[in-house]
Amino acid sequence: MSELLTTISLIFIIAGPFLLIGNRFDLPTVPFLIIAGIIAGFVVDEALTIELARYGIALLVFMFGIRVDITNARPVLRDSEIAAFGQVLVVGGLGVGLGFLFGVPLAEAWYLGVAVAFSSTMVGTALLQTEIRQGLVRGRLAETIQFIQDLVAIVILLVLGAGTLAADPIATQLGYGVALLVVAFLLNRYLFDVVGRLAGDSDELMIIGIVSLLVLFVAAATLAGVSIVVGAFAAGLAIRYDPVEYPGLFNGLVSIRDFFLAIFFVTVGALVVLPFVELGVAASVEKLILVAGLVVLTAVVKPAVTTAILIANGYEARSSALTSLSSDQVSEFALIIAIEALILGLLRQSIFDAIILAAAVTMITSSLTQQYNERIYRAVSSRIPLGGTHAKIDELSSVPEPLSDHVIVVGYGRKGQLLVEACEDSDRQYVVIENDPARLDTVTSECDAYVFGDAIETYTWEKANVEEATLVVSTVNSTPLSDRLLSFGFDADLILHTDDAAEGWTFLERGALYVSVSEVLAGEELAQQLRELFDDGRPPEQLRNERMAELNAYAKAIEEREITSGSSAR
Amino acid sequence: MVLEVALTTDLAIILLGATVLGFLAKQTGQPTIVAYIVAGVILGPAVLGVVGVTELTDALSELGLAFLLFLLGIKMQLKEVRHVLVPIVKISIPQMTAVALAGMGISVVLGFTLLESILIGLAVMYSSTAVVVKMLNDKDEATSLHGKIDVGVLLVQDIVVVILLAVLAAGRPDDLAEIATTLAIVLVLAALVTVAAIGASRYVLPYIFRRVADNTEVFFLIALSWAFLFVFVSDEINLFLAPFGIEAYLSIEMGAFLAGLAIAQLPYSKELRDRVNPLTDLFVMIFFVTVALTLERSELLFYWQEALLAAAVLMPVKFLIFFSLINWQRFSLETTFLGSINMIQISEFGVIVGVAAQQGGFIGTEVLGFLTLLALVTMGVSVYFIEFNHRLFERFGPVLSRWARDGDFQESKKTYRDHAVVVGLDEVSNTALPILADQYEDVLVVDRTVDHIEQLETAGYDTLYGDVQNDTIRKDAAIKAADFVISSSVQPEVNKAILRETSNDATVFVEARRIDDARELYNAGAHSVLVGPVLAANRLERYLEAYFEDRAEFQRLIETDNELIKRNVNHPDALLEGTLDE
Repeated sequence: MSELLTTISLIFIIAGPFLLIGNRFDLPTVPFLIIAGIIAGFVVDEALTIELARYGIALLVFMFGIRVDITNARPVLRDSEIAAFGQVLVVGGLGVGLGFLFGVPLAEAWYLGVAVAFSSTMVGTALLQTEIRQGLVRGRLAETIQFIQDLVAIVILLVLGAGTLAADPIATQLGYGVALLVVAFLLNRYLFDVVGRLAGDSDELMIIGIVSLLVLFVAAATLAGVSIVVGAFAAGLAIRYDPVEYPGLFNGLVSIRDFFLAIFFVTVGALVVLPFVELGVAASVEKLILVAGLVVLTAVVKPAVTTAILIANGYEARSSALTSLSSDQVSEFALIIAIEALILGLLRQSIFDAIILAAAVTMITSSLTQQYNERIYRAVSSRIPLGGTHAKIDELSSVPEPLSDHVIVVGYGRKGQLLVEACEDSDRQYVVIENDPARLDTVTSECDAYVFGDAIETYTWEKANVEEATLVVSTVNSTPLSDRLLSFGFDADLILHTDDAAEGWTFLERGALYVSVSEVLAGEELAQQLRELFDDGRPPEQLRNERMAELNAYAKAIEEREITSGSSAR
Repeated sequence: MVLEVALTTDLAIILLGATVLGFLAKQTGQPTIVAYIVAGVILGPAVLGVVGVTELTDALSELGLAFLLFLLGIKMQLKEVRHVLVPIVKISIPQMTAVALAGMGISVVLGFTLLESILIGLAVMYSSTAVVVKMLNDKDEATSLHGKIDVGVLLVQDIVVVILLAVLAAGRPDDLAEIATTLAIVLVLAALVTVAAIGASRYVLPYIFRRVADNTEVFFLIALSWAFLFVFVSDEINLFLAPFGIEAYLSIEMGAFLAGLAIAQLPYSKELRDRVNPLTDLFVMIFFVTVALTLERSELLFYWQEALLAAAVLMPVKFLIFFSLINWQRFSLETTFLGSINMIQISEFGVIVGVAAQQGGFIGTEVLGFLTLLALVTMGVSVYFIEFNHRLFERFGPVLSRWARDGDFQESKKTYRDHAVVVGLDEVSNTALPILADQYEDVLVVDRTVDHIEQLETAGYDTLYGDVQNDTIRKDAAIKAADFVISSSVQPEVNKAILRETSNDATVFVEARRIDDARELYNAGAHSVLVGPVLAANRLERYLEAYFEDRAEFQRLIETDNELIKRNVNHPDALLEGTLDE
């Protein structure tokens, strides 16, 4: 067995127990891979695996590039751009400052700034999956901030490669970079489908084809003297993200990526020179202080700054704080930048180590802050007046006349629309509470009264005049939200939605008037249909035709409603 | 510190070359293995000479074989293998002897020296693990009876190779006793590692994997960690035994296989297969390309006429030897034919043995070239025979039946037909279970949550752990043969995939969240699409009107629904044990 293979084996063997520990405590895998790497560093020669690690980098950036859809512009909240750049500039600046404190020259202190400023997509956004799924403001904010930062990181890598790989001026490098991106765009547009057809139904060929494409772009990048990361990113752009059409392909790419990525993180850890164990005391102490400084900047100062910026832009204190708390870690892009710099000889070992150690620490702490984010927010807000205004809510809402005996509808999706319809038919006053900017237009044009904000915030309800309402109906299937509504203890009747029967029962016991559990209703319906099929001997085709007719009638009714209300709701 | 880390271009060229030829092969209907071998021949020293073997490609191709066997191990349920164990041993030992003798004979006739002939005989007696296993995997025949026989024989051959390599490495052997001791040690080691693997699968692995099963990323990495543990130990076993003064080797392929075998006993193994497959495909491709990269052109082609002749003779001879032996063990004619035709090629192990022999001074480089060419040709040709094995059997089966009896070896395996499949357990499909249990003999539930699987097994249902989006899961659930399918997934792609696979006679109920999806699903053939949110919304709208107009009516309506919820909560297991209404 070749030495390289022995090294790979050892990497995975050592990583195993650490992954189990991390999983046991529900913590992300990346920091534990780094820690495993630190231990592995004593037994493996990391120089061997650096090449494989770089494949990991290429694959990570490649997969990121795939997700980027150049044909559809993502709906971006304008304010989050400001927050993203603000965070990067301010916090990055502080990071550089920290470097100066330690006597590090600008060229290298720069990397400290990068490490502190960017937040991790893998860890950070992963932590927020629930919030993003539920469409909460802070989920969206965090996602868009993250995305912008990742793009900036790619640009930095472009520049990084430019300044050092060759004597060519940056302009040429950027030129090559742009050329690669253009080629990628063209491929995406014209060639991708052709490749898909040629591969037929063979996942194997599709995967090998895509990997070859990646290799081609990376080779082109190397030849042009541009960083491989840019090549990988361009390759990702060339692939169209279509998991419906090519499910095997994307599952396959994920597996391949995870393999090389694991090697990457362990290698990164292995490259770290461990304080006290492999260094003298003085140097170790200095390094640890630097790490501590980085951690404080990332885990404490960064969220504080981000919160301040968001509040200054008019967001609620709570949303701002919770968004910021999800970004309090070092990004894996910073790791990539650091390792590329180390390889190129631009960064000294000690700074590199500090960044890696800080990354491992902050990734762990950030998942803890995420678990306890509410408590942290309350602890902080009770001691420090965070300010925060209701400016955003007031600006976007419209409650024209005084309301009483009205119905408050939370969420303006299909369900919400039907309820509003019912209210209008019965001549009842109503207010709609909604927080999805994508629905803002619909709400503005169709609803008589609406409040644009998170239903979790007290002020939203003040604005909706809940004191005088008769009925509150939440069409949103969200446990924390339903919880919160119950805890408000409104005088008004409360109707909630959930898809878990057990939860529905607890809501009823806690005082909800009615809980709509669509799953239970569907279950009843299903049982009914099955009994018709088996006991009554009804032919399946008949059932099918009836169901289709029902569906068409229903869909038609909705269309007619849309026409009469004069707007096109989804 | 500046590290030397230029990404090697060799790997890039290999990938690109293999891809281009692979696509070409697909267009012309050839199997991809041939494409990869040809790519290696063209790119390597034999023709263009643009790539050579590097440490990276070497490592990745070794990984390819290891993963291939790991994957194979995952598919092997012990209880399925146990009953073919004895016939396998009875087939493989005589087979190797017979083929070795045939090989020796042919070489002598072709003009090689006696020593060379002996070594050639020892090199040609293996069949290619890479070709056979990959083809079995691709054709989904790995767990068929003939597949199991072939794999079993290959594994026994693996043990023999290891012994032979150890002997050759030691230089010319002093006496038979030395060979015998090495043989004994290797067998004992293999047995020990097997026991360790099985022990782990019973006591250690369930605990570990249960914890991580719900997190796909960690699950995959831990499985890899487990595989590499075995690979490492197998390779370094020499180091572990050195203090005892014993010298022995185990191949990493065997280690990987045992690691997979240990995992196969757990219910989560099928998930894993679909994650390991893509990696394996990639590395195995590199493997096939690198087979042809090691030799210079002159060395490769020195004995080309002899190689072609030997190929033409050895392939039918191998077939006949296998045929007689498998048939002797009383397997059916079809199993015998299919099992034999898969094994007619000369293995990459033959090349490896050749390399060891050349390094030990037993043969010259040209003979090694002969062996390599022989392997390449037979591997390439055999792929076609394997690809069309069923059709060949239809053609020639009747002819052969005159000389062979049709055995009656029985094997038991649960296959589903006309059963009911429930995809995913949730409040909706929950209500269907007892009703289906009344109607169908077999009700199989596919689910991705460990807790659900456990609940269902306690309640007595057949279960399958995995994601229905994976091909292997759909195949194992025999969706094609099902009579009734209920899917609780609300993703249209998943439901469409299910609808595509079910037969026209089957009744399919699915769920959806949106009306457009429901429409598409009806068009795709669904008999009923339950759109939970629509049902709920409709109801709520009606209730709201009642709330405004007639409070008493409203109260009545919601009480019925609340009762439903209560019933659902109080008797979640009752729904699993029997019908609600009886």
